[in-house]
Amino acid sequence: MAEANDTNLAQFKAGILDNNPVLVQLLGMCPTLAVSNSVENALVMGAAVIFVLTMSNLIISLLRNLIKPHVRILIFTLTIAAFVTIADLALKAYVFEVSKKLGPFVPLIIVNCIIICRAEVVASKRNVWRSLADAWGCGLGFTMALCILAVIREMLGAGGITILRDLGWVWHLDAKTFEPHAWVVMIMPPGAFLTLGLVIGVVNHLRAHGARKRGG
Amino acid sequence: MEIGALVGIFLSVVLVNNFVFAQFLGICPFLGVSRKVDMAFGMGCAVTFVMTISGVVTWLIVHGVLAPIGRQFGNPEALYFLKYVIFIMVIASMVQLVEMYLRKFFPALYVAFGVFLPLITTNCAILGACLLIDMNDVYQRSLLKSAVFAFGGGIGFMMAITIMAGIREHLRFSDVPKALQGAGITLLTACILALAFMGFAGIGK
Amino acid sequence: MNKFVNESWLVLTLGVVFAALLAGAQTSLSARIVVNRTRALNEAVAQVVPDTQKIEALAVAGYDRDVFRCLDADGKLAGWAIDAVGMGFADKIRLVVGLSPDTTRIVGLKVIENVETPGLGNKISEDDWAGQYRNLDAGRPVVVHKRPPTAGANEVQAVTGATISSKAVTTIVNEALARVRPALQQQQ
Repeated sequence: MAEANDTNLAQFKAGILDNNPVLVQLLGMCPTLAVSNSVENALVMGAAVIFVLTMSNLIISLLRNLIKPHVRILIFTLTIAAFVTIADLALKAYVFEVSKKLGPFVPLIIVNCIIICRAEVVASKRNVWRSLADAWGCGLGFTMALCILAVIREMLGAGGITILRDLGWVWHLDAKTFEPHAWVVMIMPPGAFLTLGLVIGVVNHLRAHGARKRGG
Repeated sequence: MEIGALVGIFLSVVLVNNFVFAQFLGICPFLGVSRKVDMAFGMGCAVTFVMTISGVVTWLIVHGVLAPIGRQFGNPEALYFLKYVIFIMVIASMVQLVEMYLRKFFPALYVAFGVFLPLITTNCAILGACLLIDMNDVYQRSLLKSAVFAFGGGIGFMMAITIMAGIREHLRFSDVPKALQGAGITLLTACILALAFMGFAGIGK
Repeated sequence: MNKFVNESWLVLTLGVVFAALLAGAQTSLSARIVVNRTRALNEAVAQVVPDTQKIEALAVAGYDRDVFRCLDADGKLAGWAIDAVGMGFADKIRLVVGLSPDTTRIVGLKVIENVETPGLGNKISEDDWAGQYRNLDAGRPVVVHKRPPTAGANEVQAVTGATISSKAVTTIVNEALARVRPALQQQQ
């Protein structure tokens, strides 16, 4: 992956658009498919990933000169596993119902290719500020991709969007007239594959179109 | 131990709750390695092998090490916060051990598995299987049921990836729109397969 | 030995540091987590047995799940609540069924965990559907039909298009009542 980002800001923006971990790099698809069945799940998962990615990139960047090559994957994994455990405990404590719905996918952040990949490509080689910019860019990019999918799936599949029941706020966007006709399949597995496949298709088309316009 | 219950668990995790089509585990290798049938089948075998062993070993560690130590402190669940770290370390070591063992005693098999083995560590299906066993009261009480579940999970994954490889071999001769080539069309095919597998629901009864 | 230490001192140090960090997180958050775990059950009990102010768990021989004695604001028996689990269409269904103080009538039902088909089997968790169980006779099995229930016949109507989920709930209720009621009657 050639990363010709000259500034921290460029690194940040790349994570969101040009180098979006889900829609462009095609990493981290397991949680994307599983968790995008509702906007609430997507937001909470996104928050967890941003937290883990930030802490992981920070620590690894701080330690980058001390990490011996043979054990680097071990150290990455250990660091990521520790922060994922913290994130999991925090979710269970504060948003228990959502944490139950996310199921095994919060601990599965440990093997999420996005985080290990960013540790290997950026955090272990660059300074702290660059690594943090990358973490926030990729984290936001991931959350954004998840939310796009979740909005589509939940609107079509449940007829409306409901978030944050656990904390006592309820923000409910209702398409009440649509609800009886909701395509329930959208919040089930086939709907996940369908939505992600089509969104990636659209993204590819836009990127090819953009490249053609730039004379690429 | 009823054979019926074990067969039920096996069929349930292969057909009804298939790791790929119903539980979204192992999607990255599913998309990446499913281009040719023999590669897919090889990957499936490797995954099944590692998944079964890891499932059993993590169960044993939770019940044989963490719980007894915890009981010394008065609460068997005291050390459970270390579970995730331990699970991933176990899986990484298992893969390493399997690789060394195969290279020494079954070199032909080692060459056949090729580059897949190291990739399996980050396969979320393996960690996913261990976590699912850990989160389920029924499996927590029985090592045999957990082992059958892990084995079935691997077989289900193998079935999914092999079916997809078969379809993709044919798709090579189709006219897929440029934007959908690669990941796009694979996901759409997976959608149809997932719909088909939904038909198995209710077998449990 | 030196080479080993040279290569792995960072791993070991990090291991110890993280273990301490995790232990700290666990101790500070575990109280909240335990409360969260029991909250769904306690809220369901309060909902299925009206007037409940205080809940006492009691053990019933031969039944390994929770059974509760529900007391009202004056400390008098308001009813009983039974936590029950069984196999549904997709996976396990967990529910709480409430009994009148004399154990003759069902006073409420709440499905607290299910993964049935959204929009179809999922409707068993809706209070409207579960409300059908209110005032049914706890002494004989409840029967599920696709048509509206006949008065006085201990029947409920299945969710349209989700007969298996509806039957599963009824089976779970009937089995729980059969196993727990005799012990409760002795308690009185």
